[in-house]
Amino acid sequence: MRSLRSNCLVAVVIAAILQGTSCTPQSCLEETIAEIKVPLYLSSTKIIQAPDSLTLYGINSGSGKIHNKATGVTKVLLPLDPSAETCGFVIRINGTTDTLLIWYDSFTHLISKECGYTFYHTIDSLIYTKNIIDTIKIKNRSVTTINEENFRILY
Amino acid sequence: MRRISAYYISALILLITGSVMTEAQTQTPDTVVIPLKIRAGVEVTGPIIYLTDKNNLNTEGFISADLNERIGLFLGAGYSDYKYSQYNYDYNSKGFFLKAGVDFNFLKPEKAMGKYWAGVGLRYGLSSFTSEIPSLKYENYWVSITTSVAPSTYLSHYLEASPGFKAEIFRNFSMGWSVNIRKLLYSGTGSKDARPIYFPGYGSGEGSMSFGISYFLVWNIPFKKILVEVKKEEPVETEETETQ
Repeated sequence: MRSLRSNCLVAVVIAAILQGTSCTPQSCLEETIAEIKVPLYLSSTKIIQAPDSLTLYGINSGSGKIHNKATGVTKVLLPLDPSAETCGFVIRINGTTDTLLIWYDSFTHLISKECGYTFYHTIDSLIYTKNIIDTIKIKNRSVTTINEENFRILY
Repeated sequence: MRRISAYYISALILLITGSVMTEAQTQTPDTVVIPLKIRAGVEVTGPIIYLTDKNNLNTEGFISADLNERIGLFLGAGYSDYKYSQYNYDYNSKGFFLKAGVDFNFLKPEKAMGKYWAGVGLRYGLSSFTSEIPSLKYENYWVSITTSVAPSTYLSHYLEASPGFKAEIFRNFSMGWSVNIRKLLYSGTGSKDARPIYFPGYGSGEGSMSFGISYFLVWNIPFKKILVEVKKEEPVETEETETQ
């Protein structure tokens, strides 16, 4: 009986130590930034096609250009400012410039314990110029870290 | 790692107590006197873990009362203060939880003798807590901000199944463990976006199930003795064949 008592006490202490040391943080391997995913379609063929040249940047952003005369780009990602309700972008396709203005709401979203919280967005409305852009279709208003098409640009 | 520790402890206690119990089972009487008890217990790993990790305090206690030799009523309560930090955020969750349910002892009365309990507890849990993000760093093309999310109060519900074992190691004093399998019924948020990371009494908010292990020190107060008939196993009849 004495061995039972001592063994039980040892068991509890060992278990507590194991529990305490097992809670080490793990690394985040998931996408943590939610951006608007926009594939580029050629309006004449209705198939995805990279323009010969693509330049993209945010209006009044100090971070420079997202793309600068880039080639082979079939999908652009438009980041949004969670501290604002609207964002503007300038997109230059094959030397012709258009402007997009997007209105949206932002809210916090838990990705996982390891990756923490990020901001998701819900698209409210969109206006754009039509110099080279034929149409922008809104396919999914929920902007998340999941790889889903949000807008579709036909040029 | 928690599961491994559970297996170690389970095997250890079962081996030890199994040998003790078999010593008391050499003869089976027709009836046995079983003391019904009120039990008051405290969970010990929470405070021990807190000594090494000040970010995670979990205290829990319970009272239970035997209805008969197999079934007991259970009422538990606890307090949890959980803090977590990762590379881009800090998180706090603290609050109280209540559990109520029934304990079923699967041991035969002549084996249990009011001293041993091996069975399962089925409980309904209620967790009332506040969850907040004191610091959240976010950086993308537009901004590099540090913001926070103010404390919100939540009321969540869950079910718990707790198979386990308890043995009286001193007079009216027991120790035991239970494995806790919990199913979250309602997170209290109504939305997956602002879901808390940790629910007091339930555990990690990731997924709709959580698992844990508890170790209890229990004070037993006998309040009544009952006479329980021992069901004897009927001997298996063997057909005798005569050979000439």
